[in-house]
Amino acid sequence: MSQPSLAPFIIKRPWLRRWMQPLSNWYMDSAGYRKLGLRVDDLIPEESEVVQLALKRLSPKEAYDRVFRMRRAFQCSLTHQLLPKTEWTKPDEDSAYLSPIIREIEKERAEREDLDSLTIRKKPEPGSRRH
Amino acid sequence: MFSRSAVPRQALRAAQHSWRPQSRSLAAPASGTFQYATGEAQGIKFAARDSTGPVTTVAIVSRAGTRYQPLPGLAEGLKWYAFKNTDRRSTLRIQRESELLGSALESYTTRENLVVGAKFLRDDLPYFLELLSDVATKTNYQAHVVHEEIAALVKMSQQRFFADTTAMALDSAHGVAFHRGLGSSLHTTSDIPMKKYVDEDSLAEYAAAAYSKPNFAIVGNGVEQAELSKWINEFFTDVPAQAPFELKPQQTKYYGGEERISHAGGNSLVIGLPGSSSPTGGFYKPEIAVLAALLGGQTTIKWSPGFSLLSKATKDAPNMYIDTKSLIYTDAGLLTITLSGAASDIRKTAPKVVEALKSVAQGVSKEDFAKAKALAKFKELEYGQATEAGMVWTGSGLVHGGKPYQIDEVAKSADSVTAEQVQKAAKEILEHKASVSAVGDLFQLPFAEELGLKV
Repeated sequence: MSQPSLAPFIIKRPWLRRWMQPLSNWYMDSAGYRKLGLRVDDLIPEESEVVQLALKRLSPKEAYDRVFRMRRAFQCSLTHQLLPKTEWTKPDEDSAYLSPIIREIEKERAEREDLDSLTIRKKPEPGSRRH
Repeated sequence: MFSRSAVPRQALRAAQHSWRPQSRSLAAPASGTFQYATGEAQGIKFAARDSTGPVTTVAIVSRAGTRYQPLPGLAEGLKWYAFKNTDRRSTLRIQRESELLGSALESYTTRENLVVGAKFLRDDLPYFLELLSDVATKTNYQAHVVHEEIAALVKMSQQRFFADTTAMALDSAHGVAFHRGLGSSLHTTSDIPMKKYVDEDSLAEYAAAAYSKPNFAIVGNGVEQAELSKWINEFFTDVPAQAPFELKPQQTKYYGGEERISHAGGNSLVIGLPGSSSPTGGFYKPEIAVLAALLGGQTTIKWSPGFSLLSKATKDAPNMYIDTKSLIYTDAGLLTITLSGAASDIRKTAPKVVEALKSVAQGVSKEDFAKAKALAKFKELEYGQATEAGMVWTGSGLVHGGKPYQIDEVAKSADSVTAEQVQKAAKEILEHKASVSAVGDLFQLPFAEELGLKV
């Protein structure tokens, strides 16, 4: 999930964002997943421990909706059809519901690794002077 | 990677500053006293006792035991959720930091209180007070933690409870005696609470009530009062002044009755009778403690069955466990006689136990009474002197009535008990309905009626 991304860099600079936003919108739209009723987070590969755990942490409603979207898209793909235009995912519906959870889990794991490899240094006594 | 900068700056700096004036060799006498000094900081009640020694114990005692929970399972859930993720630190970091400093963290519930505390070396006081304030005010109640960690812990403690017939019988005797409130089970005895009532929202709401100013007190042992007050002022600044809902202290009523539960893993019989409240409560009867010592069952003296009436009554069944306890709560109490062992032993000796109790109502021999009084006083003082119990009672007394538990007064009241009082107390409790609970082989275990008890 953690591919390098320019997004945070661009979002921080409003002028750059103004340039890139239309490009991004065009790209996301032409990626085609919206025409199958999917959301961008549905495309994250599931085959990793982190994502599996994140999927378990979804609320029951979100998990149900995710499965529904996937089955619908699968059906469309089998029949070589797109959804009717009214059922396409609208840009404002295309929210990140899974990636925040994934980031949280990754942060937890990183913290565990950091703490497992920590080194402890004794602070110098307040009175003592270093030479 | 992580230097000590991982530990919040403020707390560390504080630890260094507080080092000098406090350091003291072990042999030097502290201002040592058994009395807890009480005070209020940030509107939070606290009590401190500066006993000698390098170890300090500080605990939050909150009025959030099973008695006060609005939904079943919340008290237990909150107990397991202590020291989990907070805004400032993750569960793992709390563990690692506490390990590095050398300490013990603990949290447990009783019927009335939730205790969240830490034992640590004297100099680390600021760090652990900050940690406790984080637990109280900054814990993140998250759905996935409830599902992944808390639910599993609840399940395990439930299984442990189901394997212990004595605990089951005691719990059921409480339920029979007090019904709701004080009678509600200490453990979640089915999956219903975790599925239906306990989730991150209900836990967060219950925590907000449990950790609001009127509902908890901080008790410190091995810490100077001024020091504790200073650090409470520093760290406990975001405690809500009002609870989102009131934890209602309803006056407990004694009902009584009988419950029988079939169990293949052992046999226990608990006979409960109305008892005495805690010394800080309104219904304190010191003679009940003497009566409990007189009935007894377990000896404190090596190589002797003891003087107690029940150990004499049950000497034919030496393999059976029998004990009498006066369980005290803030506004009520339960005098329990616990029998546990082979079903045939219990069946044989239980009638003799009731006979012994009835004989006390007829009269007590002088020698037995003197021994019982001395033992009751000793047990009470020993119990109160032990850090943990003393802290819970002190905190509970502060939260419930603004009065801490003072050992000296308890000793005085135990001294004033007379044989007539004990006889009268025995007579009175036999007039009430008993709360009898049998767990095990129900074919053999006796009914209360067969023992000659009223239910």
